[in-house]
Amino acid sequence: MQMTVVEAWIEGPLKRFVVDAGAELALLLHPSGQVLAQHGFARAVDVMSACALAAGIHASSGELGKLLDGKPFRGLHHVGRTRQIFLAEAQSPRGAFIFLTVFGPESSLGLVRLYFEELVKGLADAAPDEVAATGPALAEHFERDLNRNLAALFGRA
Amino acid sequence: MTARPFASILDSLTRQRWVTAALVVSERDGIVVESNLQIGQSGDRVAALAASLYRKARLSAQAAGMGAVSFMQLEAPGGRLCLVGGGELVLVVVAEPAVNVGLVRVELLRAVGELLAIGGEVEL
Repeated sequence: MQMTVVEAWIEGPLKRFVVDAGAELALLLHPSGQVLAQHGFARAVDVMSACALAAGIHASSGELGKLLDGKPFRGLHHVGRTRQIFLAEAQSPRGAFIFLTVFGPESSLGLVRLYFEELVKGLADAAPDEVAATGPALAEHFERDLNRNLAALFGRA
Repeated sequence: MTARPFASILDSLTRQRWVTAALVVSERDGIVVESNLQIGQSGDRVAALAASLYRKARLSAQAAGMGAVSFMQLEAPGGRLCLVGGGELVLVVVAEPAVNVGLVRVELLRAVGELLAIGGEVEL
């Protein structure tokens, strides 16, 4: 399974996470739903769907956390029949990202949380000093930017 | 059911000389169920890695036709990790190199029955 990234500095930390945690799928995205990196996905439409769902879950669970606890939940974990999902916010010098990973019986929640913390540190260390000249994700440019990123990830740029 | 159902097991382990930590860990999830730790020790990290190691050892022993893992020890220059499993739980002891492994092993194997009994009552 191949890993592809929109920005090269993400690849090292994400690769280390996938290997160390034994994750089957991994996705790093902007809170707006724009994909930044993926591992394990075969189709762009699957990445697009996963990003949209992850962004929606993150936004609504954040509000729920604020209602219940005065602050957003730090991470979500869901156990399926054979696979599990972990979703959490990753703070970096380039802003907040959402991280989604799917893992099977070869890994565990404890390992995923452990290596997620190392991923966050890795992203902070690897992030370039200069800030890219990107504005906030505007609705009018969202589809254009999403299609551009998906094309970059799946080799059609 | 008390808030710390495994307290007596963990206390008897950490009373052993040179034992620095004892944890009850979920094998499937790799997270701490209950622990006796010293200040500054990272129980979450130990739990995740120890559970993963134990699980791999258990599956390896099963695949080799050797039966269940009765006791597992990892030895390193900085200390030792001793593990026994009971159902879905793993009992982990972290100790200094000078620890009497024989005594720790006896204590761990004695605790397995209690671990199974309590683990069956506790919702994980």
